[in-house]
Amino acid sequence: MKIKVERTGGIAAMTRVWTVDAQTDRDLSHWQPIVEACPWDAVPNTLRAAAVAFEAPQPDRFIYSITAGQRRAALPEQALTGPWRILVDSARAAAEESSGGGASPGADANGPA
Amino acid sequence: MHVPFCSIVPPYLLRRLALQDAPEFSSAANAARNALGHVESFQAARARAVPALPPGLRQVKPGPVNRTVFDAGDEETLPGRMVREEGGPATGDAAANEAYDGLGHTHRLYADAFGRDSVDGRGLKLDATVHFGRLYDNAFWNGTQMVFGDGDGDVFERFTKSVSVIGHELAHGVTQYSAGLAYRNQAGALNESMSDVFGALVEQFVKNQSAGQASWLIGEGLFTPKVQGLALRSMKAPGTAYDDDVLGKDPQPDSMDSYVRTSTDNGGVHINSGIPNRAFYLVAAALGGRAWEAPGRIWYETLTNGSLPSAATFTVFARATIRVAADLFGPETREHDAVRAAWETVKVKV
Repeated sequence: MKIKVERTGGIAAMTRVWTVDAQTDRDLSHWQPIVEACPWDAVPNTLRAAAVAFEAPQPDRFIYSITAGQRRAALPEQALTGPWRILVDSARAAAEESSGGGASPGADANGPA
Repeated sequence: MHVPFCSIVPPYLLRRLALQDAPEFSSAANAARNALGHVESFQAARARAVPALPPGLRQVKPGPVNRTVFDAGDEETLPGRMVREEGGPATGDAAANEAYDGLGHTHRLYADAFGRDSVDGRGLKLDATVHFGRLYDNAFWNGTQMVFGDGDGDVFERFTKSVSVIGHELAHGVTQYSAGLAYRNQAGALNESMSDVFGALVEQFVKNQSAGQASWLIGEGLFTPKVQGLALRSMKAPGTAYDDDVLGKDPQPDSMDSYVRTSTDNGGVHINSGIPNRAFYLVAAALGGRAWEAPGRIWYETLTNGSLPSAATFTVFARATIRVAADLFGPETREHDAVRAAWETVKVKV
């Protein structure tokens, strides 16, 4: 299962992408509960749908596009709470640890691009 | 000779008064500009049945600034712990002091140059939170206050280091309380451009720089020395603010020829803002002198006179600035010509 978090927007408008590729049973048993905890069916799954769902956007805030396997979600930063926040923070930490030479195989952080 | 006890000053006289540049005229000029705004928004309301701005939005004499700075302590809960109130002594924290000073500079620009009483025109208390989040790479306006992160230390330093960024965030408040430009596509890019324009003007006002002396950079000093770049954006030359191995190149277009269509960033609001940003720079460069005077006045009136729809496109906005320039300075004046020429250069159809 591939998990990808893409962060756009912000005053600097620089896109960042963090990915985790969970392949082994050990990886899957770690990531599946984090992914399953998120209410994927209850949130917009495209940036356009998110713009409609969250009227009155807060200027300069980040916007997140999240994919995990076949599932997709698009959320403004202020809606990134509870299990979504745990998923994004975990994926980012794993990707950054991996790119920094840590021990999370399959994870990758693409710096601002 | 009978002197009328009370009369309505005709718009042409208000216009002449509004143009007075000498310091001894500044309060009169401000009052005239405010009154002119009243008259014109009233006329606009009559002509097009659009509701005029409530009178409270245009006060003749702005009140004193009322600032409060909070510290989120690396959490993401707002507003955080209060660390400095209006008139209180400087704290030992650079971010808190920079936020406090930046709020003051911004309030002063709106009061002195445009006669506006704070962000909402009614003396809104200015609140800012610093140290928001951990290694947080951003600053934003949440609808009621400004919020600043410390940066990750790798790409970004703390976001209070740039006065233009502080002015940028507060201008989002001004836009919210005036034209209410939608934060999407061209209206969103105009919303962003208003923030860059007035953010840059705050910085020039503080440094007392002419259009020719100013850097026209937004967010100068935010990048760490590791980054190959000067700032987040350049109003003078959009697309040239940074070109870095890791960050890539500044993606801003400088004319409609390179307008970017995208679904990210609310439809590219921070990208296509380069086009109206450059138009403002071109007006300021053509007129010379202080950009917060004639150029700033034209943009400010356009944003706040009640005639701009929230879904304004670049063309609608451009036409409005040309109309305001003619109303304020007269048709075929150098101000009117400079505004028309600027939009032509960035290839926005008017």
